[in-house]
Amino acid sequence: MDEYQTEEETAFVVEEVTKIIKESVEAAIGGNAYQHNRVNHWTTSVVEQCLSQLSKLGKPFKYIVTCIIMQKNGAGLQTASTCFWDNSTDGSCAVRWENKSMYCIVSVFGLAI
Amino acid sequence: MTGMEEYNTGSESSFNSEEADSIVKECIESVVGVDDYSQNLVNKWTAGIVERCLTQLVKQGKTYKYIVTCAVMQKTGAGLHTANSCYWDTAMDGSSTVRWENRTMYCVVSVFAVAVA
Repeated sequence: MDEYQTEEETAFVVEEVTKIIKESVEAAIGGNAYQHNRVNHWTTSVVEQCLSQLSKLGKPFKYIVTCIIMQKNGAGLQTASTCFWDNSTDGSCAVRWENKSMYCIVSVFGLAI
Repeated sequence: MTGMEEYNTGSESSFNSEEADSIVKECIESVVGVDDYSQNLVNKWTAGIVERCLTQLVKQGKTYKYIVTCAVMQKTGAGLHTANSCYWDTAMDGSSTVRWENRTMYCVVSVFAVAVA
């Protein structure tokens, strides 16, 4: 029983992290329309908020959070990522969010210490 | 958390971002080079760039875990903004980001290197 609990406490839980990301994005850019002079502040605030919520989880992980915000004007955007890590302990998740005027893509990578 | 730890030579135990920069630039040039943005090919390009970068980085033989991300965007006047934040060991871990462009597209590649204990 103890071993099972330990595994849950030290594994990368995708649903938990996805929830954190969605909340951070909503809180930072929620009902806003794309604005060139504010987007700098938004991306910073999304990543910082995600990171502080993730570190509060208290798991033995190093985290990398990336955020991309793109104005909707018909341009094509493609992103890819690849990782060289320990498949059994490390994990990642990506959330795509949008509103009427912009797209926001947030990725979180968790690497076990 | 302190303890007896081996002290590695500086160049082996910290992330060399100039070296990573030049690896990434070479990978982008060789995969995309002078091509124009093409919706059919962009999937292959992003996958090709990240895989190639990763292979070159791993060949360096350092004890790091790597994460490579790549975003390719068509040039149409849209605004694009990216940000990264990392919770790690600032002495050993590092990252580097390369912004590249040609006539029809932008390419942003980020490499994150996390030391393995």
